[in-house]
Amino acid sequence: MTPALQASGITKRFPGVLANDHVNFTLEKGEIHALLGENGAGKSTLMNILYGLYGPDEGEIVINGQTAQITTPHDAIAQGIGMVHQHFMLVPPLTVTENIMLGQESLTSATRALGGLAVLDRRGAGARISALSQQYGLAVEPEAYVRDLTVGEQQRVEIVKALYRAADILILDEPTAVLTPQEADELFVIMRRLVAQGKSIVFITHKLREVFAVADTISVMRSGQMVGSVKPGEATQEVLAEMMVGRKVILQLDKAEAHPGEPILQVENLQVLDDRRQLAVDGVSLEVRAGEILGIAGVQGNGQTELAEGLTGLRRVAGGHVMLLGQDTTNATPRKLIEVGTAHVPEDRHKHGLVLSFPVRDNLVLCTYYEPPYAQGVELDFAAIEEQAYRLVEMFDIRTPAIETNVGSLSGGNQQKVIVARELSRPIRLLIANQPTRGLDVGSIEFIHRQIVEARDRGTAVLLISAELDEIMSLSDRIAVMYKGKILDVLDASAAVREQLGLLMAGVTPAAGTEDAHV
Amino acid sequence: MSSPSSATLRRAPAPRITLLRVLDLLRMPALALFTAFAIGAILIWITSGSLQTVFEAYAGLIRGAFFKQRGLSETLVASVPYIFLSLAVAVGFKAGLFNIGVEGQFYIGAICAAWAGQAFHNLPAIVHLPLTVLAGMLGGAIWAAIPGFLKARTGAHEVINTIMMNYIAFRLVEYVVSGPLRDRLATAVQTARVAPEAELWSLWAVPERMRDPLNALGVALLLALITWFVARSLKKGAARRGEAQPGSTSFVSRHSPLIAAVVVGILSFVGLPPLTRLWWPFTDQYDRMHVGLILALLAAVAVWWLLWKTTTGFELRTSGANPNAARYSGISITRNIVLAMAISGGLAGIAGVVEILGVSICRCLPLFFSSGYGFDSIAIALLANNNPFGIVAGSFLWGAMRNGADLMELTSGVSKYIISVIQALVLLFVAAPSVVRWIYRMKEVPRTEAEAPLARGWGG
Repeated sequence: MTPALQASGITKRFPGVLANDHVNFTLEKGEIHALLGENGAGKSTLMNILYGLYGPDEGEIVINGQTAQITTPHDAIAQGIGMVHQHFMLVPPLTVTENIMLGQESLTSATRALGGLAVLDRRGAGARISALSQQYGLAVEPEAYVRDLTVGEQQRVEIVKALYRAADILILDEPTAVLTPQEADELFVIMRRLVAQGKSIVFITHKLREVFAVADTISVMRSGQMVGSVKPGEATQEVLAEMMVGRKVILQLDKAEAHPGEPILQVENLQVLDDRRQLAVDGVSLEVRAGEILGIAGVQGNGQTELAEGLTGLRRVAGGHVMLLGQDTTNATPRKLIEVGTAHVPEDRHKHGLVLSFPVRDNLVLCTYYEPPYAQGVELDFAAIEEQAYRLVEMFDIRTPAIETNVGSLSGGNQQKVIVARELSRPIRLLIANQPTRGLDVGSIEFIHRQIVEARDRGTAVLLISAELDEIMSLSDRIAVMYKGKILDVLDASAAVREQLGLLMAGVTPAAGTEDAHV
Repeated sequence: MSSPSSATLRRAPAPRITLLRVLDLLRMPALALFTAFAIGAILIWITSGSLQTVFEAYAGLIRGAFFKQRGLSETLVASVPYIFLSLAVAVGFKAGLFNIGVEGQFYIGAICAAWAGQAFHNLPAIVHLPLTVLAGMLGGAIWAAIPGFLKARTGAHEVINTIMMNYIAFRLVEYVVSGPLRDRLATAVQTARVAPEAELWSLWAVPERMRDPLNALGVALLLALITWFVARSLKKGAARRGEAQPGSTSFVSRHSPLIAAVVVGILSFVGLPPLTRLWWPFTDQYDRMHVGLILALLAAVAVWWLLWKTTTGFELRTSGANPNAARYSGISITRNIVLAMAISGGLAGIAGVVEILGVSICRCLPLFFSSGYGFDSIAIALLANNNPFGIVAGSFLWGAMRNGADLMELTSGVSKYIISVIQALVLLFVAAPSVVRWIYRMKEVPRTEAEAPLARGWGG
């Protein structure tokens, strides 16, 4: 049988980098082909070439046995290739129908002659969308506004959008990054249904567990090269991880038993509003002791962001009390909290964590620049700042050509290491780490996890917030589950079971109806 | 993709400013200027119908700017306010604020100086001149801090408010000049002449001024301060590159900048007055060149030092580059917005002071006192990419164009407003560098080669 898509010898050079080095990739008809690789391995480059966003320097693309010239996304769509990007390409104030029509508007036949003034045929398009969603079991509401949809629903809209353009080959770029475990499972069902009806899917991911759940073939890329392809039955997670990273990887984190000391952070009945002035943190009480990691599990958007911002002074606390080391620090300024001993690895490293246009050197003293030895009087002491920068770059294995390099040009993993280095190098008592490894490669994740555990072992109280259940389960000593702004339950990590946490994350408590839990 | 094999960095000496790096920084502005003048030439050619006019026009421009009698000094006179005002705009930009109100702050600085200059008499210049400068600076600072405060408190956009503050400033100055501060003895509507002690010295008058020992003391103090600052910076730079001998902790080596400053101070106090009387190159009493130029250059160094060497500058730049990260790191955005606007306004105010005390023929503020410097300086700051030293160069260029335009019109018949067109084109090309890249078929290259392998924007 002719493969749906065959790319051979694809080479793409960027200044100084070989992003794709004679990559061969074959997608059979009706299969789900997982493409694994760390950030920077060249997965997205390859897919962007297939989708016409980049032109390859060398190589050939064959679709259904025919050599294809793909130089723009238009060509790709014409060849039946559809792509769902990691960051959705939807317009929030428009309806689902309008979003799907965008760029391929159908017009009512009566007004078509009016050109730019023609009336959109919303009904006809809506009918087609309903038909597609029925055929593939993709529940979307054509009249709904995209801004009102959940992330999972938006993703379905993206898939329908690709199908609407008659895609036979679907490229899904990290589709599970934004989903709960349950939502991811739903997506896998949809993917199965799509291939059952003849579609072929390229599934890009870096999560090992998922490829075993859904893929028919697994290809692994590393450093711009195709390392190899295997069937899920023939490989183990360990083997795949080694293929991805190029060395043995310890998937299970070894950590000693926690020895919790005195309470460092005490939160009582905390209430924080979100940007829309709705109660996002609704009466949370918790305590983090020295030398323990309290993990907060939960699907994104259940108040974790607001909780972290409320505890770090970035967002006003509407009610309740925060005690840090016995001091009342409710609504204290960020600087006050930093000086008392709070470290914060923020959720969005580009928004809060780094000044991308500043050199690595300056970002490493972002919270301490005004204190000796980094400042002498009103002047910065660059000798001391550089000394510190060289020290931290070495200690935290930050890969940068120079300390003067702008942080914005480092890879995501190294950017995150800059933040972790800065925060953990201060004398701290409390570490609030929000999504500390999101979007990072396996090597960086491993490294940052070890740093967090080491901080705990030095007696730091750690509040770990993460939407990745695996991360919570492997790091935490105790696990609190957050749902709709409330802590539903706190479990001992050794006693916690994945399914139980998954149910709590979906708001299902053992004793249904009693949603209040005390920590 | 390759990444550096080891995280252990070679401890490179602090990067020196190499010619190559400077040339790299100058490439885009230079191309923007060249392209603008080329298009200007085409426009002149089309409108005049003769290629010769193009050459006549540009020759006239250059002659007027540099080679006619007092051409160069008039160019320098015009660049002084440009330097102060573009520094003002740059400080705002660096802190993420678009201070479009430098023109108004310039006026407020001018009126404050006009007041302080004539309000006191018989004060020694060493007191009166700094006092007058300070008055203008404070006036401009407060004027700019108001929209800053409004932005910090209510989020009201500074572009709108500084523009509105401009009009308030214009009308306020008109009222003050024609009302409370009007010189009743003068026929024209203007303020009274400032006291001679408050005037900024014309360059030809320096030997005369230096006869007063107090003036000589002032100059000596200023020179001592500059010496101290330079010696200290050099010493620090050497220490950073590890060139200083460790263990040399003798009194002299520890206090070398201070000693150098004292020596220079004493030498200039004793030596400069007789020396300037013996030999002084500026003798033309109609030359308007004044010592404000030196103040402007000092201001450029001061702004550079403030922005890149102090904690305050770090805070200002952080607030400008990423306000969220600034807040995260404990920097008060409110404070920095007000502070940045105040510094910006203060610099703009000094520009007004300089025009009153050093340039205006009556050494006063006349009713119809128009400058137009303020809006040009936004373009200069953009052209210089907010670099203080680039601003000095850009201001000189703008001063030359402003000064040479008249002779160009006279000799070639080309309207002097072609200069505005060229300046607008420069601004366009600086603001849209992709246009320049397209014209010259340049590839958008990463800033430095060393950074390229790590730029992972396209990574998988």
